[in-house]
Amino acid sequence: MIGPTVADMALLMPELILVGVALILILAARRIRTGQVASTSTIFAAGAAALAAAGAASSGPTTGFGDMLVVDGYSQFFKLLIAATLVLVALLSAGRRDGQGVPRGEYFVLMLLAATGMMLAASATDLIPLYLCLELMTICSYALVGIRTERPPSNEAAIKYFLLGSFASALLLFGISLIYGLTGTTAYAGIAAALTGTASSDQPFVLVAVGLVAAGLAFKIAVVPFHTWAPDAYEGASAPVAGFLAAGSKAVGLAAAGRVFFVAFGAEAPVISIILVALAALSMVVGSIMVLPQTDMKRLLAYSSIAHAGYALLGLLAGTPEGVSATMTYAFFYVFMTLGAFGMLIALGARGETLDAFKGLAAQRPGAAALMLLFLLSLTGIPPTAGFAAKFAVIASAVAAGQITLAVVAVVCSVITAFVYMRVVVFMYMQESDLPVPAHFPAAVSAALALAALVTLVGGIFPGTVIAWAVSP
Amino acid sequence: MSDYVGIVTIFVLAAGITGLMVLLGSTLGKKNSTAVKLAPFECGKEPFALPIGNLAIKFYLTAILFILFDVEVVFLYPWAVIYRRLGVVGLVEMGVFLGVLVVGYIYVRDNGALEWR
Repeated sequence: MIGPTVADMALLMPELILVGVALILILAARRIRTGQVASTSTIFAAGAAALAAAGAASSGPTTGFGDMLVVDGYSQFFKLLIAATLVLVALLSAGRRDGQGVPRGEYFVLMLLAATGMMLAASATDLIPLYLCLELMTICSYALVGIRTERPPSNEAAIKYFLLGSFASALLLFGISLIYGLTGTTAYAGIAAALTGTASSDQPFVLVAVGLVAAGLAFKIAVVPFHTWAPDAYEGASAPVAGFLAAGSKAVGLAAAGRVFFVAFGAEAPVISIILVALAALSMVVGSIMVLPQTDMKRLLAYSSIAHAGYALLGLLAGTPEGVSATMTYAFFYVFMTLGAFGMLIALGARGETLDAFKGLAAQRPGAAALMLLFLLSLTGIPPTAGFAAKFAVIASAVAAGQITLAVVAVVCSVITAFVYMRVVVFMYMQESDLPVPAHFPAAVSAALALAALVTLVGGIFPGTVIAWAVSP
Repeated sequence: MSDYVGIVTIFVLAAGITGLMVLLGSTLGKKNSTAVKLAPFECGKEPFALPIGNLAIKFYLTAILFILFDVEVVFLYPWAVIYRRLGVVGLVEMGVFLGVLVVGYIYVRDNGALEWR
């Protein structure tokens, strides 16, 4: 039997739903007024995909398409996370008041297709589908960043993101070709088997190949020194798109890195560990220092996301199932807290996107200020928020792996970044402003903020529910 | 060696006929040369020009669309060679692939990208 079977296609149900809705929206784009229709159908598609993903993996890991894709607990975790990201971002986009120049149909089509790539990447157990899925995600992201064609900063951001992204894709592809040359396969299981018996003369090539693949994935997660695209891309993109990149791209990069490093390169654990220690340490330090002078909120959240990517990698470098689980927990909670912070930025759209927008917010809208406080506390990592639970899990896993110095660096960086987040709090609670404040937020934005706040708070009080659910591949 | 006689014959004939055509054209043909007639034929476009000045963007749009839909044919060729072995699954897959492309074509048409304005 050549080609996929019906059973193979059933594995792809969540992705097929997203692609199907995307195709319908493409057909509808110029035939109906797509404003609310596009956002509503995106939210329903994401919900249906989440249901399909939740129902799929109950019977244990199932492979399909000649062992190129697997549906297991690990992929299910990330598929649900991506569906949640899509719902939140669609809600935030739906409530935007300044989205006049954006073609709504195309905007949500690109988002749906990017989410499809993300979901498939979490399922991939072969480097070729992994590359294709990551490309699907990033090519849609380039267009999303530059979708406001009349805005020069948006175009500039898209070009920068595209150039650096293509370079990173080339690195990843070069790494994949070296791996294929060394092992004769691109399947994770085959690579793992072949690498355990490598001759010592091949060792330098293995190092280069592993390093190149790691660099390609590091770009998607935006860790130092592959982070330079993030602040520019986030600043030029609209806030929902920036949130989508910060939450989705990072989660998928971590998902792919978890599977590649843990399954395919399991035999090279010492090398992986050294690479990850360097990436994590650089990310935490550079991200934490660079975030200090930022006054544009999107740039601030971009550097914050770089520092958070460093923390998230702490779990992977242990190379244990518990460590991978800690990273998954981190990715999960980070999605909700960062989208909450971006959401608040969108809700206050009329006040601008700088730090000053938050001045005097507590006096004008105490509820909104309290929500922002919750997200900021979570980004800092203060109990009882999800950010604390996530940070605790990864730092504990770094300590368990014997990386005491790195754990200390992580804690010190947390303290440094606390200054930045608390400055926003000071602006909100201890300063006055006569900026106009929206009388009420759009219902969709309020819903997204409520969902993000709920997960941030409940996740902080009962982190065990997510940790138990985050099982490594 | 005799296998290649045919090829050599083709070469000789091709060179001979082409040479004859050029020779007849240059001796028997009328000659009223203008600058336009002397320019090498390049689809109506200036053959050599510095990349400065304005160019109609519609050429690029058409070229991009051509590449997009031309790649479809690249996939059709290998499929056509082995479609018997692929069976119904292959037929359905190619149908889905072409269906997605048709959606793209309808989108292109809806946006008026095929109108030469």
